[in-house]
Amino acid sequence: MWLANESRIPSSSSSPSPSHTCIINSHQLSECCVGWTRVTRIISHILTMLTLNLNAISSSSVLFLNLLHRTNADTLSLLASSLVFVSDHNLFTVMLSPLVAATRKFKSFQLKAGFWESIKSGLMKNNTTQVIDPPSVDEEDEEPLPQEFVLVEKTEPDGTIEQIIFSSGGDLDVYDLQALCDKVGWPRRPLSKLAAALKNSYIVASLHSIRKSPGSEGNEQKRLIGMARATSDHAFNATIWDVLVDPGYQGQGLGKALVEKLIRALLQRDIGNITLFADSQVVEFYRNLGFEADPEGIKGMFCYQL
Amino acid sequence: MFLHGSISAPHPPFPGLRLSPGRAHGRQVAMAASSSRGGEGYPLTISDEKLESRGFAVRRGAEGLELEELNAVFVAVGFPRRDPERIRVALEHTEAVVWLEQRKTRRPVAFGRATGDGVFNAIIWDVVVDPSFQGIGLGKAVIERLLRELLGKGISNIALYSEPRVLGFYRPLGFVADPDGIRGMVYSRKHKKK
Repeated sequence: MWLANESRIPSSSSSPSPSHTCIINSHQLSECCVGWTRVTRIISHILTMLTLNLNAISSSSVLFLNLLHRTNADTLSLLASSLVFVSDHNLFTVMLSPLVAATRKFKSFQLKAGFWESIKSGLMKNNTTQVIDPPSVDEEDEEPLPQEFVLVEKTEPDGTIEQIIFSSGGDLDVYDLQALCDKVGWPRRPLSKLAAALKNSYIVASLHSIRKSPGSEGNEQKRLIGMARATSDHAFNATIWDVLVDPGYQGQGLGKALVEKLIRALLQRDIGNITLFADSQVVEFYRNLGFEADPEGIKGMFCYQL
Repeated sequence: MFLHGSISAPHPPFPGLRLSPGRAHGRQVAMAASSSRGGEGYPLTISDEKLESRGFAVRRGAEGLELEELNAVFVAVGFPRRDPERIRVALEHTEAVVWLEQRKTRRPVAFGRATGDGVFNAIIWDVVVDPSFQGIGLGKAVIERLLRELLGKGISNIALYSEPRVLGFYRPLGFVADPDGIRGMVYSRKHKKK
């Protein structure tokens, strides 16, 4: 899975600008780890990955190539390499961490130091021409989505740290939800019904903002700033409802992240058919997330006989 | 366009489902409060007794439903056959199940189910009528009973996805396609833009 985020990964050679949003890499890095099981696939992918179109990368971009290899012919041979390219403008992050488990049946994979050196220097020269599509990632190969993780972390000039936490555990306060619905202008719905709707939903995904002031000795402010939920029969179909983001946090890609993670959680639970009904002005938003309107002419219909 | 045609003004905007942040939710609460068609009030074109006299028993819930026989109906109408275990799981988490059993053979000849959150929204899925029994009002009977059950629970937002060739079946039952420009969308992995 390739992430395009509005953030810059801090690297060892440059300090993150305090006013920029930084990504917390750990979870996202692990998300990008792909389990490879075949040596030849590894080799071909690594070689293609290493020839990249570097034209888009500006002079301040950071490239680090981190290769580990163990050559132990008798038992498992692991190869992990991660390539991180950060460009100023499109902040395109490519992470590749293949893990190879080679048994005795496969030829053990031995890398010569000289080989990697030559590739590394070739990259630095910025002279390649080929644009490489990232290898296709099977959803099943991905690490399972943790139930709760930090999506974004921002450090403000005064040192306050704000984290946006994604959670698919559904543990949100119904009063907070009602306040959020008020904020986006939705008509009031009875609290008991809201609570029941959440309880009867298959997955409730939420975004909370946690703000910690420096020197506040652990006092943190936690606020609900986004929610999306899906109902499902737990086997075949799921429908996404009620996607909302606090107006103060809109326009930052949080709604997109919310829906993407919700989709991922549904796919990991093997729900094959994910549907929703979109207002005309957000059809494009969902199209960009991979939804298709009226596939094969199938139309959404609503009952007006009330 | 709308069945209860005494309304001359356009029908109020669709309540429910605003998936865009900041957009008004519509009159969902008002609609639910004024719903007068819930429960027993919902009209049935053919009564349970009439169906019974024609040899069909109205069954509610999945009890007594043979899943392989249901699969046979799915296949007969062109749906894929499904793993009965998964069907069992799906039915356990389905809010309303209505099916018609042919008394003589004890087989399901019509089926429909609805999932949802139990308070606001419901979606009707897998509506099928055995081809040998189509055209005599059995599909309509299933939908009407599903609607009756859902409206009885106060669920006012009932939707479904209709294949193009059966839009005409759902319209007389009160269903409207793309009201207010709302589009049904389905996630497709191959279409995802990265």
